[in-house]
Amino acid sequence: MNLSLEGKALISALLVASLSLGAAGLAAISIRAMPSSNAAITASPEIVTTPELAVQGREFFGTSCSECHGDDATGDEGPNLHNLSISNARIAHTIKNGIKGEMPTFAKKYDDKQIAALVSYLRSLH
Amino acid sequence: MTIDPALWPKLHGASVHFPVALAMAAALFDGLGYVWPKPSPLKTKLQSAGYFTIILGALGTFPAVLSGLFMTKGEVLGHDALLFHHLFVWPAFAGLVGLGVWRVMMDDKASPRSFIAYLTVLFLTAGLMAGAGYWGGEMILNS
Repeated sequence: MNLSLEGKALISALLVASLSLGAAGLAAISIRAMPSSNAAITASPEIVTTPELAVQGREFFGTSCSECHGDDATGDEGPNLHNLSISNARIAHTIKNGIKGEMPTFAKKYDDKQIAALVSYLRSLH
Repeated sequence: MTIDPALWPKLHGASVHFPVALAMAAALFDGLGYVWPKPSPLKTKLQSAGYFTIILGALGTFPAVLSGLFMTKGEVLGHDALLFHHLFVWPAFAGLVGLGVWRVMMDDKASPRSFIAYLTVLFLTAGLMAGAGYWGGEMILNS
């Protein structure tokens, strides 16, 4: 098949663009499958909160939660998270599994240690 | 070894501005180069600038996309502002890469008709990049 240079360039452009999108998709799948650097640390059933973890949790909160719960967690689209009256385990469960139709799940995004950090941060809010 | 949780956000922030700016610059240079009235050294310079900025912009998308994927732990869509960001990012990414490849292959041999098509897609892609940048900024401002 004799293609003009323009035809070849167009096909190459479409091909490389598609391959790039495919590569990005594969990268996304690989990154999701990667064990977290903290995965070796197994969380106990009891969620232990510490000020050190709270500092780390603040980072995660800024990345994943503040958009709905507000910069200072006083609520926006999502509820105010200050002075939560539910248990640490319940908070962790909600972060992990989300609330159907209201809040996404974060089980794939954060491991137990990182969720403990988020719980620590939320517990530090008064 | 523990990786700084802010490493990927920092790298993403450091890398995203290049493809956004270069896509817009390529649209500006190539647009001006096209409408410049007659062959002149300035017209040639504008076309050269458009050529290199689109190629650099296309190359610049890869670190931006990769750092973004690491930052979001492989999230390709997400929700709310992140979803809107991604709805602009993915077509812009494909568009910039495709435009870069097309420009390298065609060099200065494109017919006027195909170059107009290239410019149209380039302006559309620059707009998508602007949209991606806007929603990226919304996430920063709201966090």
